[in-house]
Amino acid sequence: MASPSATADVVAPRSSSSDNYLTHDKGVLSWIFTLDHKRIGVMYLCSVLFAFALGGFFALLVRTELLTPGKTIIDHDTYNQMFTLHGAIMVFLVIIPGIPAALGNIIMPLQLGAKDVAFPRMNLASYHLWIVGAVFMLTSLAINAVDTGWTFYTPYSTTTSTAVVPAAFGAFILGFSSIFTGLNFIVTMHKMRPPGMTWFRLPLFCWALYSTALIQVLATPVIGITLLMMIIERTVHIGIFDPTLGGDPVLFQHFFWFYSHPAVYIMIVPAFGVIGEIIPVFSRKRIFGYKFIAISSLAIAFLGFLVWGHHMFVSGQSVLAGTIFSAITFLIAIPTAIKVFNWITTMYKGVIHLDTPMLYALAFLWVFTIGGLTGVFLAVMSVDVHLHDTYFVVAHFHYVMMGGAITAFMGGLHYWWPKFTGKFYDEKSGRIGALLVFIGLNVTFFPQFILGSRGMPRRYYNYLPEFQPLHVLSTLGAYTLGLGFLLTAFYLYKSLKKGPPAPPNPWGGATLEWQCSSPPPYYNFHKAPVISAGPYDGYENLVYDEATKGYAPRKSST
Amino acid sequence: MADSDHPENADKEPKSMQGSSEEQPPEPREDATRPHPALEPTEQDEPAEAARREAPLEADAHASHDDHGLAHTMPVWMLVAVLGALMGLTILTVSVTSFDLGAEGNLVVAMVIATIKAALVVTFFMHLFWDKKFHLILFLTAILFVILFLSMSITDRGEYQHNIDLYQNSTSAAK
Amino acid sequence: MSESTSESAATTAKKGGHGAPAHAPAHGHDAHGGHGAHGGHGGPHLAHHFDTYQQQFDAGKLGIWLFLLTEVLFFSGLFCAYTVYRGMHPEVFVYAHYFLNTSMGAINTCVLLISSLTAAWAVRNAQLAQRKLLVLNILITIACACTFMVVKFFEYEHKFHDGLLPGPAFHPTEQVWELESFKHKHPEAAEYAEKLTKAAEAKDHAKGAAPAAEAAAAIERPTEEELEPLIKAGVIGPEAEDQTRPSKPRNAHVFFGIYFFMTGLHGIHVLGGIGVFIWLLLRANKGQFGPKYFGPIDYAALYWHLVDLIWIYLFPLLYLIH
Repeated sequence: MASPSATADVVAPRSSSSDNYLTHDKGVLSWIFTLDHKRIGVMYLCSVLFAFALGGFFALLVRTELLTPGKTIIDHDTYNQMFTLHGAIMVFLVIIPGIPAALGNIIMPLQLGAKDVAFPRMNLASYHLWIVGAVFMLTSLAINAVDTGWTFYTPYSTTTSTAVVPAAFGAFILGFSSIFTGLNFIVTMHKMRPPGMTWFRLPLFCWALYSTALIQVLATPVIGITLLMMIIERTVHIGIFDPTLGGDPVLFQHFFWFYSHPAVYIMIVPAFGVIGEIIPVFSRKRIFGYKFIAISSLAIAFLGFLVWGHHMFVSGQSVLAGTIFSAITFLIAIPTAIKVFNWITTMYKGVIHLDTPMLYALAFLWVFTIGGLTGVFLAVMSVDVHLHDTYFVVAHFHYVMMGGAITAFMGGLHYWWPKFTGKFYDEKSGRIGALLVFIGLNVTFFPQFILGSRGMPRRYYNYLPEFQPLHVLSTLGAYTLGLGFLLTAFYLYKSLKKGPPAPPNPWGGATLEWQCSSPPPYYNFHKAPVISAGPYDGYENLVYDEATKGYAPRKSST
Repeated sequence: MADSDHPENADKEPKSMQGSSEEQPPEPREDATRPHPALEPTEQDEPAEAARREAPLEADAHASHDDHGLAHTMPVWMLVAVLGALMGLTILTVSVTSFDLGAEGNLVVAMVIATIKAALVVTFFMHLFWDKKFHLILFLTAILFVILFLSMSITDRGEYQHNIDLYQNSTSAAK
Repeated sequence: MSESTSESAATTAKKGGHGAPAHAPAHGHDAHGGHGAHGGHGGPHLAHHFDTYQQQFDAGKLGIWLFLLTEVLFFSGLFCAYTVYRGMHPEVFVYAHYFLNTSMGAINTCVLLISSLTAAWAVRNAQLAQRKLLVLNILITIACACTFMVVKFFEYEHKFHDGLLPGPAFHPTEQVWELESFKHKHPEAAEYAEKLTKAAEAKDHAKGAAPAAEAAAAIERPTEEELEPLIKAGVIGPEAEDQTRPSKPRNAHVFFGIYFFMTGLHGIHVLGGIGVFIWLLLRANKGQFGPKYFGPIDYAALYWHLVDLIWIYLFPLLYLIH
C-alpha cells in the first residue's frame, strides 16, 4: 500500500522548527492584519472559546435560577434575557463559526495541500466581522439585553422594549462572517487542490467543510434579509409581520427557519467531519464507506433545506405544509445514520487507542445518537404537538449541539492541538476532562427529556414543584459540565506554557497536515505535495517512535 | 443541486494545477496554420492580428480573437445586439400593460418577459454561455432554492388565509 | 502583496455592505495594498498563493458567482414578502401602482441596461488591454448608475411630498381617483368616485335624513366601467378602509413599505457598485488590466449585471401592476 505522501517534495518532518507560523512575524499588528489562514484560525479559536465561556456563564445562571420554582437568584425579566443571550451567543458566536472557522481555517488548507485559502483577505475580513458582530451583541447586553429568545419571533421582537436592534444587527453581521468563510472554503477546495488530490481523495473533514460551506452560502443570506426586515419592521413599522397592520407573524417564522434549520446542519456537519478524521486514526484502520460518508454530507446539506417547517408545527402553519415537512424530516435520519454505521464499522476489528480525542469521538457517537433519535420523535407531527416548546426539545437540541457539535469540537481541538501549538497536553487530565464532560452532559440533559415529556415548558422561569427534583439534577449536571470545561481550559493553558514539544505526527494520521512540522511552517508546504493515495491509507506504514513520541514512515528494510 | 453535480475534475488532474510554471495557454490551432481571419469560426469577432499570448499586460492589442486566453471575449456586435433586444423587450413589457389580460394574465406576461430579459443578461452579459457549466448549475440552484422558499411560504399562507380573513372581518365589523 | 485577492476580496467585501454602516470600516483595510504591480514570484498581479493567472482568474470567478448567489437569496426574502402580500391583497397593489411614475421607472430600466452593456464591454476592453476604451466604458457605467440614483432621488422626493411613506407615516395628500394616472385610464370611475365622495360628505353635513337621501338618490346605478376599477383598487368594497365612502384600501401602506425597502436595498447595492467602479476606474487609468489580469473588471461587471437583473424584476413588479 502506498505511503500517504509519495514524494520527497514535502518538507521532511522536523519537530518544533524554530521558524513556524507562530514565530514568523512578531507583534499584535502582525496578528490583526495577518493573511495566514493558520493565524486567522487561531484568533477565531480564542474568540470562539471566549464566547463559549460567556455563553456557558449565562447557561449556568439559567440553570442555577431553575434550582427552585419562583425566584432563586434573578427575576423573571432578567431570566428571559439570560436564556436569550445564552442561545444567541452560543448559536451565532460559537457553534456556527466554531469548527469551520476555528479548526477548519487552521487545518483545511494543510489537509488539502494548499498554501492558503483562495481569498486570504476575505478570510481576515470574516474574522473582523465576527468581532464586529460580537461587539453589537455585547452592546445589546450592555444597553438592555434582548429577551425575545434567540429566535426573535415577531410580534414580540418588534414590540419589546429591550435592545433587539443591536442584537439582530450583530447577528446580521455575523451572517456575513459566515458567508465569507463558506465562500472561501468552496473556492479553495475547487481551485487549489494539488496534483493528484482528486475529490475522492479529499479527507472527510474537507468534504464536511465543503457541504457546510454550501449551506452557509445559500442559507445565510436569508437570515440576513429576515433580520433586516425585522429591524425595519421594528423601527419603521412597515407592517410585514404585524397583524394589526396587515402583516403576518408566521411569515417571519418561515423566513427565520429557512435559514435556521440549515444552520443547525452548519453546526453539526463539520462535527461529523472531525469524527470522520479521529475514528480511523485512533482505530488504526481505514474509514469504512468513504464515498458514502462523503456523499451523505452533501445529502444532509441538501435535505436540510427542505425541512424548516418542522419547527413550526404549532405556529398556525397549515396541516398540509406540516405534513410535507414531517415526511421529509424523516428522510434526513438516513444519511446521518449511514455515517454513524460507517464509523462504527470502521472501529470494528481496529486497534482502538483511547486517547482523549477518541474519548470525545466515542462520547459523540453515544450522545449524538440519542440526540438524533429524539429528533425523529419530534419530527412526528402528532407527537410534536405535545412536545413542542417543552424541555424535550431543549434536551434534544442540547444533545445534538452540545453533545454533538461541542463534543466533536473538543475532540478536534485535542486531536489537532499538538499540530497547531506544537505542544502536548497532559493526557491524563484530558481523559478526566472528557469523562467529566460526558457525565455532565448526560446528567444535565437526560432529565430534561423526562421533564419535557411530563409537560415542563421551555423558557419558563417558574414551574410546578413536582418538576424540581429533575431540575436540581439537571443543574448538578450543568455544574459538572462546567467543571469539565474548566479543567480542560486549565490543562490546555498549562500545555501552552509548559507542554512537552510535539512531533509532526503524534497520532499516526495519514492526512497531509501530519506531514509538516508541529507547529506548521508559515508557508505550509515548500512545493505542492503530489498525492497518490487516499487520506486513510497506509496506517500500517507508520510506526510509533518512542523517542519523538510520534509516528514516522516505516523505513524500508532493504 | 450540489449533490447531483459532479464537482469538476472529479478523478482527473485539476487542469489549473498542471505545473506551476505554465502561464501560457496550451497550443491551439492558432499557431498551426493562422487561417485568414475571415475563415475563423463564427465565434471570433474581429480580425485577429497580434499574437495575444505574447502581448504584455499593457499592450494595446486591438481586436484579437480571444478564446484561448483566460476567458472568451465578447464580440462588440453581440453586446450591442443583446442591448437592442433588451430595450425592445422593455418597450414591449410597458406597452403590454395597456391591454387587459386579466389580473393574472398581465402578471404572467410581465414575468415571462422579465425572465427572457434576465436570461439574455445572464447568458450574454454575464457570459454564462461560455463559462464553466458549474457556474450555471450554481445559478440555477440558487433560483431553485428561491422557488422552494417562495412556494412553501405562499402555499402555507394560502392555507391559513381563511383564518386571517375571519380575524379581519370580525375586527372591522367591531369598528 | 496578493493583488488579485485584494481585488476580489475587497470587491466582494465592499459589495457586502448591505446598508450596514458599521460594515465599511471593517473592510477599509481590505482595499489596502492592492495597488502597484508587485513582483511576487509568479508575475505582476499574481497573488503568491496562486500558481497561474488562469487559476487566479478561475478562483475569482467562482468566488464572485458564489457571492452573486448570496445576493439572489438575500433579495429572495423581499420577493417572497412581495409575492405573499400581493397574492393575498391584490387590491393594495393595484391601488398603489397609480401613485408610481411608470416613465421614471422605464427610464431607470433603460439606463441600467445601457450601463450593463458598457460594463460587459469594459470587460472586453480589459481583456484586450484597450485602456482608453476601458476607462470610457467604466465612466459611462458610473454615469448611468448615477443617473439611476438621481432619478430614484426624484421619485423618492415625490413620494415624500405626496405623503406616500411606509407604515404609520402613510398619509397620501391625494386620493387615488384624483391622480392623473387614474383619471387617464378610468375616467368614468374617477368621476363616479368623486360623486360618491360628495354624496358622503353631504350626508355628513346633512341636517336631516331627507337631504341626504336626495343626494344619494342623485347618483345613478354605477356601470361596470365606473365600478370595477374602484373595486379592484380596494377603494370601494370589502377591502376599503372606510365603508361609507370611497377611501384607500386597508393597509395600503404595506405596498409602500415593500416599495421603499426593495428599491432602497437595490439602491444601496447600486451605490456600492458605483464605489467599486470608481476604484476600478482609477486602477484602469493606471493601466493595470490586460489579457492576463482583468479579473476585477470581470467580477465587478458580474455584480453589476446582477444589480441590473434585480431591477429587471423589480420594474414590472412595482411599476407595471395592472
